[in-house]
Amino acid sequence: MTEIKNAHFTTLQGAYDTELMEATLRIRRWDPDTQRARFDTFTVTVPVTASVLDALDAIKDTRDGTLAYRKSCRMAVCGSCGMRIDGGAALACKTPMKKFVDAGHTITVSPMGNLPVIKDLVVDMAPFWEKIRAVKPYLDTRDEDVPDTEWRVAPEHHDMIHKESLCILCGCCVSECNSMESDPDFLGPAALAKAYRFVGDARDTDTRERLRDLNGAHGIWDCTRCYFCNQRCPKGVDPRDAIAKLGAESFKEGFVRDEGARHAKVFVDSTYKGGYLRETELVPKTIGPVNAVKDIPFALQLARAGKVPNPLSPHKAKDNDEVKRLWKLLEKEAKGAERPRALHPDAVREG
Amino acid sequence: MQERYAYYPGCLASLSQKELDSSTRAIAQKLDIELVEMPSVTCCGAGDIHEAKPDYYLHISARILGQAEQMGCETILTICNVCTLNLRQANKALQEDPALLNRINDNLKEVGAATYQGGVDVRHLLWEVSEGNGYEAFKGIAVKSLEGLKVAPFYGCQILRPSKILGFENPDSPQSLERLISACGAEPIDYPAKVKCCGFPIVLAREDVALGELVQPLEQAVEAGADVIVTPCPLCHLSLDAWQRKAADFAGKELGIPILHLAQLLGAAAGIEESELKFKRHVTRLSPEVKAKLQMPSVIGTEA
Repeated sequence: MTEIKNAHFTTLQGAYDTELMEATLRIRRWDPDTQRARFDTFTVTVPVTASVLDALDAIKDTRDGTLAYRKSCRMAVCGSCGMRIDGGAALACKTPMKKFVDAGHTITVSPMGNLPVIKDLVVDMAPFWEKIRAVKPYLDTRDEDVPDTEWRVAPEHHDMIHKESLCILCGCCVSECNSMESDPDFLGPAALAKAYRFVGDARDTDTRERLRDLNGAHGIWDCTRCYFCNQRCPKGVDPRDAIAKLGAESFKEGFVRDEGARHAKVFVDSTYKGGYLRETELVPKTIGPVNAVKDIPFALQLARAGKVPNPLSPHKAKDNDEVKRLWKLLEKEAKGAERPRALHPDAVREG
Repeated sequence: MQERYAYYPGCLASLSQKELDSSTRAIAQKLDIELVEMPSVTCCGAGDIHEAKPDYYLHISARILGQAEQMGCETILTICNVCTLNLRQANKALQEDPALLNRINDNLKEVGAATYQGGVDVRHLLWEVSEGNGYEAFKGIAVKSLEGLKVAPFYGCQILRPSKILGFENPDSPQSLERLISACGAEPIDYPAKVKCCGFPIVLAREDVALGELVQPLEQAVEAGADVIVTPCPLCHLSLDAWQRKAADFAGKELGIPILHLAQLLGAAAGIEESELKFKRHVTRLSPEVKAKLQMPSVIGTEA
């Protein structure tokens, strides 16, 4: 049996003369026929350069051909091999095995979260694609004549959506999204990063409609800012930052009616009016006076513990006129600013 | 640990969570460190201003950082996760982009505010006392052993993630709170949700979504047998403490676990009086048994 054990790497070893190591992986198995989960532990011999994906390949080739997982490019481009490694979503192909072997640590490999498991490490991506589709992941230039030649986008306008353009749709951000665990209908970090990729695109003319759709239930204001998405993304997309950019675009376009936007506005207003947050204004201005009245018994619990500051004497920081002047200055500056627009080829020719 | 910090308590510790401010001041005095007041600062924006008005957010952050600089302080000491992330995030952006910093300084000058040269660091109290000199100093003042107290650490999100802005410890298996709990003579309790979200940023705008998040650490800590939960963030504290009743109704079960601010736990071990730690300001009250384990002598029946 020892010969079979190393069979998978005999050719690799020959080609690169690579040093070998013993890697141990504990894998969560899910059998769709019996609807049962179990953990299997495998030790395989792999080159010291092996990724977690290489180790899974070795297991599938030499130990258990029924092990199911997705893979394709092996170079962090296709986005197929997202899975949890020690509980955190990552690309198996981008995660080196050696650091775990050196530490004498047996990794636990399990399927991504927030998506239904089909078999072993394979999840059903259908809900993921449904949300990507919901944000219209394509350029809409219907308000312009279709040009014969290409649009001209200034480099700085491309830079605005550069990070979001790097997304490989692997689902690692969605796997650990805390809001999505609680609200499965939340559009989530991947779809919202994709949404910003088009809201911020200087060629797209559908900005206002896109933002209107994103400001409702299950939209941008569902994000709880747990930052798991930024932490997990293997490509540096930083989906949480994209969601914040969608918030800023919503404010620019006057979409400020969502409870989340109203909540944000109280923070903005508090700073230039006094300095610190006006906590007592936060509740009625976010959820509305009627709902705030319904919440009075709760507010009394807080008041009993001394947690409701006196609304009649809000905090006043020293020299806060500076901040008021700053606010006015920036608002004036922002008013004059135009949306970045791509140049229509006709305009380029004429100009 | 330094001897002198620009002290940025932030909104909550200055307003609804005053017990955190008074506990922090008491601990600082024991540790013999000077907290220099920052009377002219605004709110950090709590992520909300970053989201609504990102340019304004960078300006008010630069103004806060600049004030610390002009006070001759190298470090701003924070006691809130959200302040820590927001100030560090802005600081990184300003330090890495001289053109941005120049433009912002021009605007700050125009309104007569302090400008910022980029020389300030922002550090949370947890980081300062959980390693190095600060940790040794804390062990030196931890005169009361909280033996028998089972403490569930709850980190909250914005002191761990994103690690490229925070970066103090491994965001998936942090140990700083555990180290301090042990230094207090208490027993750290492990549970999976200790690094997850408390739901607070959306508790007003999306209460159900937030409560679905909040119940996880509360339930898990109770099931793991913890006497109390300790957190370095006053927003997490407010969520875990004040919204606990709503979370219990949401989950359909009894919870009733007291939540301590980090400075309160450290303060109890350092023998600081209850009058400064102010447990009375919690919505979920401490039972006499828990108080006894916290070495807080109290006559049963006198507590409100």
